[in-house]
Amino acid sequence: MSGLRTLKMATLGVAMGMMGSIAGAQETIKLGLSVPLSGGGAVWGRGSVFMCERAVKEINEAGGVTVDGQAYNFECVAYDNKYNAADGTKVAQTLLNREGIKFIGGSLGTAPVKAMQSLTERQGVLLFTTAWGFTVKGPKFPLTFTQMNTPFEILPNLIPFIAEQHPDAKTLAMLNPNDASGQDTEEVARKVWQDTGIELLSSDFYERGTTEFQPIAARLAALNPDIIDLGGSPPADAGAVFRELAAIGWDGVKVVEVGTGADGIKATGGDAVEGVYMGAAVSFVGDEVTDHQKEVNEEARAEIGESLNAIHIGFYDSIYALKAAMEAADSIEPKEVAAVMPGVTFRTFYGSEIGFYGEETYGTVQQMRLPVIITQIQDGELVELGRVDPDGK
Amino acid sequence: MADTLRLPYCAAGIAAAIGASLLVSDPYVASVVNLVSIAALIAVSLRFVMLIGELNFATAAFVGIGAYTTGSVLTIWDWPFGIAMISGGIAAAAVSVVFGYVTLRTKGPYFLLIGFAFTEAVRIIYSKSMGLGGNSGMVGIFPPIAFDPWMPTFVMSIAALLIFVLYVIEKSDFGKIFTAIRDNEDVARTVGLNILFVKVACFAIASFAAGVAGSLHAVVNNVISPGDFSFLLAAFALAYVKVGGEDNIVGPIVGAILLVVLGSYALGLGGHEHIFYGAAIVLAVLLMPEGVTGLLHKGRDFVMARGKRNAD
Amino acid sequence: MQTVIQLTLTSLQIGAVYILFSLGLTLIFGVMRIVNFAHGHLFAVSALLVAVMLSWLAGMGIPILPAYLLAVLAGVTASAALGFIIYVFGFKYFQRDMVGSFILSIGLVLLLDGIFLEIFGGGVRAVPEILPGSVEILGASVTQQRLFLCGMAVVITAALYWALTYTKLGKALRAVSIDHEAAMLQGVPYSRLALAGFMIAAVLAALAGALIAPISIVTPVIGADYLIKGFIAVIIGGLGSIPGAILGALFVAVIETVGSFYLDPTSATITIFVLVIVVLQVRPKGLMGHG
Repeated sequence: MSGLRTLKMATLGVAMGMMGSIAGAQETIKLGLSVPLSGGGAVWGRGSVFMCERAVKEINEAGGVTVDGQAYNFECVAYDNKYNAADGTKVAQTLLNREGIKFIGGSLGTAPVKAMQSLTERQGVLLFTTAWGFTVKGPKFPLTFTQMNTPFEILPNLIPFIAEQHPDAKTLAMLNPNDASGQDTEEVARKVWQDTGIELLSSDFYERGTTEFQPIAARLAALNPDIIDLGGSPPADAGAVFRELAAIGWDGVKVVEVGTGADGIKATGGDAVEGVYMGAAVSFVGDEVTDHQKEVNEEARAEIGESLNAIHIGFYDSIYALKAAMEAADSIEPKEVAAVMPGVTFRTFYGSEIGFYGEETYGTVQQMRLPVIITQIQDGELVELGRVDPDGK
Repeated sequence: MADTLRLPYCAAGIAAAIGASLLVSDPYVASVVNLVSIAALIAVSLRFVMLIGELNFATAAFVGIGAYTTGSVLTIWDWPFGIAMISGGIAAAAVSVVFGYVTLRTKGPYFLLIGFAFTEAVRIIYSKSMGLGGNSGMVGIFPPIAFDPWMPTFVMSIAALLIFVLYVIEKSDFGKIFTAIRDNEDVARTVGLNILFVKVACFAIASFAAGVAGSLHAVVNNVISPGDFSFLLAAFALAYVKVGGEDNIVGPIVGAILLVVLGSYALGLGGHEHIFYGAAIVLAVLLMPEGVTGLLHKGRDFVMARGKRNAD
Repeated sequence: MQTVIQLTLTSLQIGAVYILFSLGLTLIFGVMRIVNFAHGHLFAVSALLVAVMLSWLAGMGIPILPAYLLAVLAGVTASAALGFIIYVFGFKYFQRDMVGSFILSIGLVLLLDGIFLEIFGGGVRAVPEILPGSVEILGASVTQQRLFLCGMAVVITAALYWALTYTKLGKALRAVSIDHEAAMLQGVPYSRLALAGFMIAAVLAALAGALIAPISIVTPVIGADYLIKGFIAVIIGGLGSIPGAILGALFVAVIETVGSFYLDPTSATITIFVLVIVVLQVRPKGLMGHG
């Protein structure tokens, strides 16, 4: 089925290419993507490519990007970074030096992003990334921009909200995957929880790829905390942990701070994930959801088998941000585009017109001013509890 | 085939390759040349331990130890570049002596699977060491700026030198003991050889080469992460050996060139890259059990036999 | 006391799956002397198919238990078919060739990884509960599903033990695994036996996959975690030894459980790797290894 689709796409691509060459006027700007397309992170990578292509399709159909009187079409070029630095380097070399790409529309995974960044900043290429942490941002990296909310944006809004909902909760146990996301999230979360006045009983890590969560659930339940926070755990892992916890008889406040979606967590957790709070998931039920959001989400579900999440959406927003910045700079030179990026605004997939901020946290304006969406699983559905529009500098 | 060193051929081959590397100016081609050189060195190191009849999956761990040592020496202690390069090999060799002394008493599948476990354990240890950058990896491992245009030549020269040294050792009397152990350990023991000592020596030499390959990997990529050194690295090296042919030292080099270059193109296949690589390995072991070089030898013998018949 | 009981029960439950997995690995090694890294994919294909079939059948209105049985049948059939294909077109030519078979299996791992991702997608598959509810054992709580899994593991292991001890095929398999040449001299039809051993192992993996599907995280990469633990279990127990595999599997399960409880999961994983090396120092062929 997929093979057929690829064939169709290829035929379509060739046809469109021929039309392009007949028209002659449209030139193409390639946008590179460095994402995992195999292994455990494949579903994130595939959704990201889907969203990039979706944004590109919309933009091209609306006439493309107009710079200096010349209309350009966008094109997404994605390579598999396998979530490690070595393959991230290969991808970076291929995108920058083989494809000659000047704009990275999105990149996923801290280690491969660092590998990418060591080339992009040197070669003057603009980089959008979902990666977290101070080590990839700030004045040292003037060409790097962040396309999704990270724990630094999410947690200071999410944690006090939860604490307010559960004034009796006094103790906390944390569990994170032993990967870059887990380590980064843990560092921020530990601090924010303690600032909120919650006592941290333990903070543990598990290996990515673990399928058996009974032993760690036994450990967590034995501590008997009021709150269990699974931080940066992938949704499916989080669901499995909550299911084992329920089997042992633990019940309390459940949090997956950067939990990205309800599908994975429900798939493994079943009823045990009722009441889980998440900070990076997007709800597609309710009156405020637009037709456009619903339509894209349905397409994504058919294509990748999961609802869209904040990671995927970052790859849509970054393309619109690039369009806005190119038109504002009236240039397709990465450095000139990057220079105006902090000042531009664009319409995010979430619906509002936003710009960039982050000077207080990172030292440069490079973070999309995305709303922080607090969601909870209620009666098996992901429900939006609140939406905070950050107002910092 | 005569068991001589055939030095003129080696020298000519190495000189030609290094000479060609001087002509590389395109940065993408340069990056592929670097990858090929490093992959060839790792594959030759893996094959070196196969001389004593063991499949050394700990190779991946030793490449990692070399890379992290060089990374630490350059970014944390700020020592000179030359020392950083050598220290990767030395650290890997030192660890391998201890590891080999402990584990080389086991054989065959046990040794293979211990190597596998060791690789995974070491990888987890990096990921837990925040001083080494944890899971996010270690950044900023740059060679001196003057090296930049010469990187492919530099990397290839180091790889060629080490491969040549391994070749000389293999062809020496000491090297012949390796294959004697592989063919029959008991016979080798009865003539009074200290089997464990020879095995550890072979293992340490190979690990030194793997460690230097890791050092090169670190300075070429500038960034290293624990995920770079999973058991897949050894699996790919094994694929180079097997596809190229394990009978002589040219095999792994041919395999590395072939698969890395093809792999660079397969990267464009996205998630299909695994299918491509997997199919290449499966087809290679099924259709050419002696590898590409084995096939070429057979082809040559066939042509020569025909030529002879025609002459008659 | 409560803790001890909970940890013991947890170890037994985890151990049950590791046992089913390791039995297949050790059987294949015993008969064919090959190291098969693609074993995890036989397990994965069954788990994936159970997940897909179960939601499909349940969607058609078939009650959950018969639907599960049908799905298990489909999963086991698919694994057996895959096992048959990779044996006939692959491992058949690499018997008693450890390096060759290992490389072939690595190639298969990569190939099947890619193919599974194409067919099943990377997302996690939801599997409905088959036996809801849980029971109390000595004050510790265990879900019905886990209990069922343990029961099945005991039954399957006992059946395999019985078959290997008393049937003609089983005796021949054991004879080949203890002394290949002697068995050949006695006229054991080796190639047919190898196929039988390989297929039994494939079915064991398939059953393990089908049993674990409702209580685990079903993705195309589900096999990898079990494969590593399974191999460690058989090295500790001794490659080719059936009691060794059982002992090794329980050993790994206990370390994992106790280590995760008192230290943390990552340290537990490292502890397992270190203990393998220690055990092999004392017994270079594993606890129950021979010859």
